[in-house]
Amino acid sequence: MTRRGLIGIPLAVALLAALSLYRETIGFPLFYLGLLTTMLFWVTQATSWNILSGYSGYFSFGQAAYVGVGAYTTAVLFGRHGVNFYLTILVAAALCAVLGLAMGALAFRLRALRGEIFALLTLAVPFILAALARINPAIDGGQGIIVSIPEYPEGIGLFQDYLYLATLLVAGAAVFAAYAIRQSRFGWALSAIHDAEDVAEGLGVATFRYKLQALVASAVIGGVGGSIFALQIGFVAVDSVFQLTVPLFVIVMSVLGGRTHWIGPVIGVVFVVLVQDRLTASGLGRWQLIALGAILAALVVVAPDGIYARLKARPLLAAAVAVPITAVVWLVAQPLDGMLAGLLAATAIALWPARRRPPPSVDRGVVDTDRSPIRVDKSSSDGEEAVVECRGVTKYFGGVRALEGVDFTIREGEIVGLVGPNGSGKTTLVSLLAGSLRPTRGTIRIAGQDLAHLPAHRVAHAGVARTYQIPRPFASMTVRDNVAMAVMFGRSPLPLAAARREAQRPLDVVGLGALADAYPSALNLHQRQLLEMARALAADPKVLLLDEALAGLNPAEIDNAVQVVRRVHASGVSIVIVEHLLRVVKALATRIVVLDQGSCLADGDPTEVLADPAVVRAYLGRRAHARDS
Amino acid sequence: MRDKTGRVLVAVAAATLLLGFVVACEKKSEGGGGAPAASGAPIVVGSTLSLSGAFAATGAIHKIAGEAFVDRLNAEGGLLGRPVRWVVRDDESDQAKVSMLYEQLISQDKVDLIIGPYATPNILSAMAVAARHKYVLPQHTAVLAPLLTYECQFPGWSIGSTPNEFVPNQLLDAVASLSTPPKRIAIVTNQNGSTDFVSYGAGDNKVGAVSITRQRGLELVLEKRYPPNFSDWASLATQVRDARPDLLINNGLGVDPVNLLQAMAQLNYKPPMMFSLFPAPGPPLGLGPKADGLMSVSIFEPNKATLDRLGAKATAVVNDFKARATTAKLPYTVFETQAAASWNAWEILVAGVKGAGKIDHQAICDSLHSNGADTTFSGHLAFDASKHNFWPPTQTIKQIQNGDWVTVWPKDRAAGELRGPAA
Amino acid sequence: MSTIQAALSGILLGGLYALMAAGLSVTWGVLRVINLAHFGLMLVGAYLTFELASAWHINPLWTLVVTVPAMFVLGGALQLAFDALRISELNSLLLTFGLLIIIVQSVSNIWSADFQRMTAAVNPYATESVRLGRFVFPVPTLFAFAVAILIIGCAHLVLRRTFAGRALRAYAEDRAVAGAFGVDHRRVGVLLAATSGGSAAVAGMLFSLGSSLTPATAYEWFGTVFAVVILGGVGHLLGTLSAGLLVGLLSGVVSVVLSPATAPFVLFSLIVLALLLRPRGLFAARTAR
Repeated sequence: MTRRGLIGIPLAVALLAALSLYRETIGFPLFYLGLLTTMLFWVTQATSWNILSGYSGYFSFGQAAYVGVGAYTTAVLFGRHGVNFYLTILVAAALCAVLGLAMGALAFRLRALRGEIFALLTLAVPFILAALARINPAIDGGQGIIVSIPEYPEGIGLFQDYLYLATLLVAGAAVFAAYAIRQSRFGWALSAIHDAEDVAEGLGVATFRYKLQALVASAVIGGVGGSIFALQIGFVAVDSVFQLTVPLFVIVMSVLGGRTHWIGPVIGVVFVVLVQDRLTASGLGRWQLIALGAILAALVVVAPDGIYARLKARPLLAAAVAVPITAVVWLVAQPLDGMLAGLLAATAIALWPARRRPPPSVDRGVVDTDRSPIRVDKSSSDGEEAVVECRGVTKYFGGVRALEGVDFTIREGEIVGLVGPNGSGKTTLVSLLAGSLRPTRGTIRIAGQDLAHLPAHRVAHAGVARTYQIPRPFASMTVRDNVAMAVMFGRSPLPLAAARREAQRPLDVVGLGALADAYPSALNLHQRQLLEMARALAADPKVLLLDEALAGLNPAEIDNAVQVVRRVHASGVSIVIVEHLLRVVKALATRIVVLDQGSCLADGDPTEVLADPAVVRAYLGRRAHARDS
Repeated sequence: MRDKTGRVLVAVAAATLLLGFVVACEKKSEGGGGAPAASGAPIVVGSTLSLSGAFAATGAIHKIAGEAFVDRLNAEGGLLGRPVRWVVRDDESDQAKVSMLYEQLISQDKVDLIIGPYATPNILSAMAVAARHKYVLPQHTAVLAPLLTYECQFPGWSIGSTPNEFVPNQLLDAVASLSTPPKRIAIVTNQNGSTDFVSYGAGDNKVGAVSITRQRGLELVLEKRYPPNFSDWASLATQVRDARPDLLINNGLGVDPVNLLQAMAQLNYKPPMMFSLFPAPGPPLGLGPKADGLMSVSIFEPNKATLDRLGAKATAVVNDFKARATTAKLPYTVFETQAAASWNAWEILVAGVKGAGKIDHQAICDSLHSNGADTTFSGHLAFDASKHNFWPPTQTIKQIQNGDWVTVWPKDRAAGELRGPAA
Repeated sequence: MSTIQAALSGILLGGLYALMAAGLSVTWGVLRVINLAHFGLMLVGAYLTFELASAWHINPLWTLVVTVPAMFVLGGALQLAFDALRISELNSLLLTFGLLIIIVQSVSNIWSADFQRMTAAVNPYATESVRLGRFVFPVPTLFAFAVAILIIGCAHLVLRRTFAGRALRAYAEDRAVAGAFGVDHRRVGVLLAATSGGSAAVAGMLFSLGSSLTPATAYEWFGTVFAVVILGGVGHLLGTLSAGLLVGLLSGVVSVVLSPATAPFVLFSLIVLALLLRPRGLFAARTAR
């Protein structure tokens, strides 16, 4: 997989370059070169967009900002002042990097920022830049700038060839970057951010840093593409480069092709440009945008993941149908008509609804129950070390008092049951311990480290891992990869291959070994909860927070889950378990803490606590009495 | 007997359908085109026009004018005895597509001749391609003379090579001829390239409406610039009202003057005199009496006096255009500046080819430089390469009088009299 | 003086922005659908007003009799489709964007890309105004302001006081629970989307009273309308109204005090700042999370 891309992409670039370098020898029509140049420009822009927005899910409407900055840098420096053209490309890249840093530093800092608001923020940036360019005569002042042809090496032939080769190089570099990112740790982090950002952060993924990097990469690529674009249009004016068409087309192309893979934008670009070209050439220009709009709407409904994802499922069939159709139409009409026909055929095959294969049989009973992996690194202490210390922890949400003055300690080797009626603050406390919320007052120490000084993704490194009440796996990754993420970004990070090997152990502990290659969508609720646990376990935590990990299970599954928790505990992890089922709590917990309306009501031995009349009253009301369930 | 009739009818119907199909297919892959009357292999003229997108409104005018021209040309025997076929592609008002399409037309479709697209940025892109392939490029509407550097580019509309000097001077000369010439001038400018140029000049040449107003000793009471998609006309109107100008110069385009007039009318205000540089001609007329007296620039208005002077052919062309435009449901069907500029460009192309006697671009270019071109609506044009081929302007000033545009200045070409401030 | 007049005119114009934004904001906040086709519905509403008023020689206001039901049905139909297809929030953005492209191009094919405008004979309101002392209130925007306050005010009351309104708010906060309490989200959601469509028709008509129409206008609305939606807080009607008035006011004042050329720059920069400091909207109450 890695090899294929490393060789494939440069090979493709070389082949495409040959079309121009040996153009006259092979008789390649100049017009096609122009069409390819247009496609390559869009490949650059769509790939640039995809690196941030496709991979991480943060939709940007601001692609025009990069094109504009790039085009104007070249236009002003080279077009107006005669600075070396290649130097202007570097300056454009630098300016775009600064722009990206500024946008990211402002936008990504706020945790409350939803994806939609980011999208609209990016919509505003090109407006601002366009207005700036218009007002400022040193940049444009409203008149536009002519960009002449720079000096280019002798052997290249016409200006068209030079433009084509320049655009090709940039597009090739862009696609290669997207490919490299996807294979790397960076790419995995972006996928995790896409699927479940706060979960990723809880696992130790430095989300802010990665998003910023993606934004800067996207900006630089877009800007360099913009520089070359200035040459292509020859006359740079505010309306031609900062227009809304750029982000809109880029989004259409990437969505059509597929957002999560580096080749998606390429496919989308070829599709859209071909459709546009053929419609215009046959005089149906007025229908072009209608056709594109309809295709976009249809694809969003039928295949929101894009064409590539579907094509990948049946590549041979698609090729077998597409190639003959291409050949036939090529001979009858024009080559481009042939290619479009072939592409349409392949798409149709790809989108044809698959026969529903029965889901992989996951026998509820088949969850290994009798394995006993004991972790080797038992710490030498005899369970006296305080793993978690809470002192006076208070949390207010505006006027709502979620927690008030909570003090408690968890020692090594304990299983603490955290119970209390709904609204008592259990999940809030868990979130505080996991570092995704900060206390209004009070301190929380994990293994001696004060959480308040740690950014969210470092809390995982301090030794805390949590599961979520509603399981939130990374939907785009296999079960094994979900667990591997915790190892890749945890306290002692490992590269992907090693992380995958390491992931096997936690999977075996929870009993999901057999399902390691399945996707979370194929798992039932119980298995997903086990996956949550495995993922949390893989982070090698000192304390594991289980937040209602048994919700919604049937009795057999509950028993199994209890076994799993015991095994986890046996491997040397302290556990905080938030649970409503009293029998589970009594079976597992070495100690019980009861919360009621934000305060600590009782803390101590399970049997005593559960018999305490104050606890009974809080849980069941005045007239009921506690019963073993 | 009935069988025979039946069979004949079926045959005729089939033939008609087949013919219709062929014609439709033919029409599908070309834009314009006319039924060739002359004989021989057609001369193909290629171009793009904005048939969709932002410039489509005016693009439509050029399409109809071009089609009318080619039909008439073919009816009169074609060019060099051969029929002319016009291939027009839709550039969707997208500058990047213009370059590509012209490349396609020249290298792939190998058209014999080309003619320009609409709107300055597109013309500039097309010019770059034409220059690379050394094709002669007559173009209808780009007036930013300093930017049009290709020596074989020929403009169909000329406000001289320095419109930033010519237009303000012509306007101020015109109003100076009134019995009470305006003294207080307000200038509001659209930041679009061509309009901004006329107000402020460009590059080293900072001469423009603003500087000329001052130079003439007039009082500049208001000077504002607004961006192209501006919508807050009410505030601008307020400022104009409070400045109390005698003459409001709006170097704007499209529906700027309409928006401004409307906003001022809402304030119950109308400046004594008003000028707008490149308005879309139809909309101000729709404002009714509120727009009376508005002035603008023109190279041609089909006023009766003007047409009488130009002759029968001019009148026929004007009427033909009106008929075609009405069928095509254009909102404004009058043959005026844009259409006239288009007609000029075509006539330049034809004159060049006839003068060279063959389809050889260098020869065409030389012929135009030596002999110039004769046009129906702008007379004889002489091209001076040192002025980027921009011929001495035959531009006039027009004014809305009684709901119609009337040429009012200079006096020797006027069809009506310039009206001063309403009493 | 010009500043105050500009401020007043701006506030009136802001009413129109608020009305445009209100429909979008409510469907976004309650139904979790970002309906870009709303811009298309407004565009079609405006063009239909132009067409019907010009062709039948009627007062533009009467065209509402046709356009409001038409857009009402379209809006509801769209929501039915969303429900049936189970579209997610971000995918709704893409889907409706596709629809918007289709609508704009169709409008261009039918009415050409040229500027269309009702003539003075058909639309007497364009140049009328109401005077109060030294100050002038242009009729089209005054009308828009009044209608916006009326519609948004009523909608706000409906959401607060009626059962359907409360059901909708419950649905917005927590779908599953609202469903458990018997709120038939589908019917109510479709009704909401349909009403939003109706408001689009009204906004389009009001816009056409005062401006020239061109198909690209739909894209030109993006910036301002989204700014108003975000600043007002998604789903908060009164917030949207206030944000609209604020945006109109700022635009007008900056135009006069600085220059019309800097107005968009200042406006968008302020919006960026506001977004970063108060992402939930300038007027949103602090809610518990």
